Amino acid sequence: KKNMLDFFILGLFISPGSAVNTPVRRPVTRRSKSYGRSCVEPPSLFWQTPGHLTTLGHRIPTSRRAAKSHNITEKVDPEQVALLLDGEWKLSYVTPLFLFRHTQLKLYSKRLAAFIIAEKQQGVAVEVGLEAGFRVSFSAVLGMAETEEDAETISSRPVFGADGSKPVWQGWLTCVNGDPEYLRSLPPDFTSLPLFCSRGAESLSALVKSWFQRTFDCSFGALGLSSSTLHWLAALWTGCHPAAGIRYLKLGWTMPTQPPLDIEYSVDPQDAWELWNSVHKEDGADERISVDEVQSFINGLETHFFRHFKIYLSSGTLTKVSTALGSAHHHGKIKVITINSDYISTVLTLLTECALLKTPV
Amino acid sequence: MDNSSILSGAAPDTSRDSSGSAPGNRSLRVAENEKRRSERDPVRSALSFLSQVQDGTIVKGNDQLEKSLVVVETVALGRGLPPEAVSLLLDLALSLRAGSVNCGRILKFLIPASVVPQEAVVRGVSWLCVGRLPMNSQVLFLRWVLTVFDLIDFKDHLRAIYGFIFSFVTEENLAGFKNYNSTWKATLTAVQRKNRGDVTADLSLTTELKEKPASRKRKLHHLEVPALSSAFDTSAERKVFRLQEMRTFEELLQNIHNIELPAQMGSLLGSSLALHFLDCVQDESAFLRLNFWLGHSLQEEFLLCSADGGSDSPDEVARFLNTVLSSQQFLQEGFFSTESFLYKFLSVWDGSLLRTHILDLLSHIPLMPSHYIKILVFEPLMQLYFTSTVFFKCSVIECLNNMLVKWLTWHSVNALEEGLDISLNSNGTVTMTLSGFMDTVIELVRFVGRLASEGLRLENCHVLLLSQTLAFYETVCDMFVRYGLPLVIMPPAGVFYPALLATDSLSVDRLGYIMYRYRKNLTLAKKQEQQSEQTFHISRNTYQEFNQHLVAMVSCLWNSKSFLPGTGIEIDKQMLLQSKVSEHWSHFDLVHHPAFFKYAFEFHQKCWPARSSVDLASIKVGKYWNWYVEFLFSQGFDGLSDFIQVNTGHSSSSGSSSQGDGHQTNQER
Repeated sequence: KKNMLDFFILGLFISPGSAVNTPVRRPVTRRSKSYGRSCVEPPSLFWQTPGHLTTLGHRIPTSRRAAKSHNITEKVDPEQVALLLDGEWKLSYVTPLFLFRHTQLKLYSKRLAAFIIAEKQQGVAVEVGLEAGFRVSFSAVLGMAETEEDAETISSRPVFGADGSKPVWQGWLTCVNGDPEYLRSLPPDFTSLPLFCSRGAESLSALVKSWFQRTFDCSFGALGLSSSTLHWLAALWTGCHPAAGIRYLKLGWTMPTQPPLDIEYSVDPQDAWELWNSVHKEDGADERISVDEVQSFINGLETHFFRHFKIYLSSGTLTKVSTALGSAHHHGKIKVITINSDYISTVLTLLTECALLKTPV
Repeated sequence: MDNSSILSGAAPDTSRDSSGSAPGNRSLRVAENEKRRSERDPVRSALSFLSQVQDGTIVKGNDQLEKSLVVVETVALGRGLPPEAVSLLLDLALSLRAGSVNCGRILKFLIPASVVPQEAVVRGVSWLCVGRLPMNSQVLFLRWVLTVFDLIDFKDHLRAIYGFIFSFVTEENLAGFKNYNSTWKATLTAVQRKNRGDVTADLSLTTELKEKPASRKRKLHHLEVPALSSAFDTSAERKVFRLQEMRTFEELLQNIHNIELPAQMGSLLGSSLALHFLDCVQDESAFLRLNFWLGHSLQEEFLLCSADGGSDSPDEVARFLNTVLSSQQFLQEGFFSTESFLYKFLSVWDGSLLRTHILDLLSHIPLMPSHYIKILVFEPLMQLYFTSTVFFKCSVIECLNNMLVKWLTWHSVNALEEGLDISLNSNGTVTMTLSGFMDTVIELVRFVGRLASEGLRLENCHVLLLSQTLAFYETVCDMFVRYGLPLVIMPPAGVFYPALLATDSLSVDRLGYIMYRYRKNLTLAKKQEQQSEQTFHISRNTYQEFNQHLVAMVSCLWNSKSFLPGTGIEIDKQMLLQSKVSEHWSHFDLVHHPAFFKYAFEFHQKCWPARSSVDLASIKVGKYWNWYVEFLFSQGFDGLSDFIQVNTGHSSSSGSSSQGDGHQTNQER
């Protein structure tokens, strides 16, 4: 649907210019003293449904689509999927990018490389390799977008060292099934890619973020995963067991005791599935999971644990959920295993939603 | 070189104390001051000495040179040097007039307080070209130029000689340096930060100089206003004006059509000159960028407190909020990201963290439909109010008063332009009718009425709380006359009677003023209603409430008939008898009222100095009463004076009426 650039690997070159500029505005009259866009009226995310006002004042969906095995590799280059999935990612949220152009990725690669080198020369960046062998590649991953409103995923890999060597840092920005009302409300100058995943040296992450901030006037923040998000993931993954085989369901809690007590709870995949099956109502065509079902599932697991150990897990913090399909940590780290990439869009939808809910206005 | 400008703001004035202590003649004092000034301004004399150092001056063992350098060095590292001094010292160093050792030394302490004059750098480069400078001094000079590059006031001439500079940089000895800015960076940052505080305080019209953003970012600093910079450095072919190059208000005016928006909109908050520009920006995207940035900063710091940051020092947080506040005050409106942050934060706030800042920000929130404001602001605020100290209660009332004043001011400006229908937004996303606006105002006034009544009861009519409450009603009573909002809301009994029976005279006086203004507002409303100029209608209840308060107040203070039937506040006879207070009806008249007792006593002594026993009742007889009232009004109780004159017909000039006739009350009907 969009004419996108394919994967690029570019050599380092300090570009002489011809870039996208902030347009020069011509203010002529004094702005009327209006109070601007209201934060309590749509399209602000502040309230969408009254009565679901959380601490951050955002809505939490009460039901979502069950993970469906649709073959993502039909739409997306398998090599790129492998790249996105392999290994553990640190999650961040990003406010919408201003004047980001999918057609300028080549230029961005150059500018980011130049920026990193400039910063590094100030004795800032990590000491890695030779500057001459340093490259940044930006690419658009086509086909990840699920709806018209979603912008295409962007991945970025500064590469240090000679050709063909392992990248030292990788990152990507995405939006899968983002809230259409919110996305439509943004002026056309903005591109919302709210979920940012990265791995590699922290100092490089900081540099990349800093470049994005200065170039697209956006802001980054850590994206932690709340207990309820982890509950959703546990339920979504368990629901995939008959089709994909989750092999195990492991949950980790930290209990508020002195000293803190970490509990790891391993559940037999078949038992987990049967528990899930008993609380989940199949309702035919549009298979949806409701928040009540997720809550009953987790309650079931916690009750079972209490029966054996007399510990209320609900008084602690759920820190980790893992199955053979992937794992997620409440500090905002996620791993999705390559072979089961079919479920990625369900997970990314959930994460996109978490990231969008962190958008400040 | 202008010495006085170098020294402006240098040393704090310590000599201004001598007026009372030294009785000697004037010339002596002048001479003394002169002496003190030269002692106080060693910097001036040091710089003046250094400017006179000639080529070939002996350096070794030159005590005065050494002393002068030490003086200037101390100032430079502490406060930074003014542009002229930077110019002078750079020339002194690179000309090697003070020797090559001192050249390095001077360069190392050459910390500018504000800007570096371009001419100084150009002259420096020309010294470089002379070729006399030792290599290490050349390196040091170029490193210095790179460090202060952003502080150079203009760069047009400098650009012309880039070629020279680059030819030096490419020389092998110069090319290899690393960490080029470590020598000055820390000091420069400290000096700039210190100076920045002064700049923001007076909102002077200069583009404020930012410290260079700390590039070693182990943490993301949310609470740092980004530096002004251009999106990409490619606009050379187009004639645009960059905010970071702007120095004066005149430049802003001349280039207003041609100013480039900065790469990061948040950077506009850092400079008052940029705020003038922001006030003219009419670009939704630009404001959205600013709000994304600001909302993110506030959210990360106060709501998410993520591991990436959130550990900024309290000073930094306060400084950041001050920047936001002063920007909002300057623009006379709040940012909607601040607003949405506040609604979220109020529900988790403990009421003490950065109290003044948060409440100040809260007073900037715009009008919104009444059911929203109840849930978002009033409910969380009420919980905090009733569980906090009396001082917090005072701050809350003060905040809500400021909020009301801002709404009313906004209304009085916009209603003129747009008639009765108020559009909150030029895009029309939020529109509010006049009745919607009034609903919210009514909601706010009633809310404060409840808070104040209950608060006064809980805090035993604390005088500060009463004072804040009366300040609020001073705004409320004048909504129609002063702000053109056809709305009159009377204070509840829980506010009115504590003020009427207060033990301090100021509260009673303020209540008098408030009742006087209510009367003015109601009179005007009735007049307009009769002329059917307006379609609004003040309800009979409001008039009744006003009259009830009026009767109570006049009966109490003027007619000595407090607590009797038909006086507004009626207390059961049996109970009054049980109290065993004799002549209880007269205990709150102007003579016996605890707030005025002191004045009555003083008046009594003046009238009858020979009397051994005090009989205050004698003040109420005949002409003494009039004299006493005159005496009271002369003590500065203007509010009470206005109230009495309007409502009892007592005129300050007429001496005919006397107490005891039972003055009729001029009621509003």
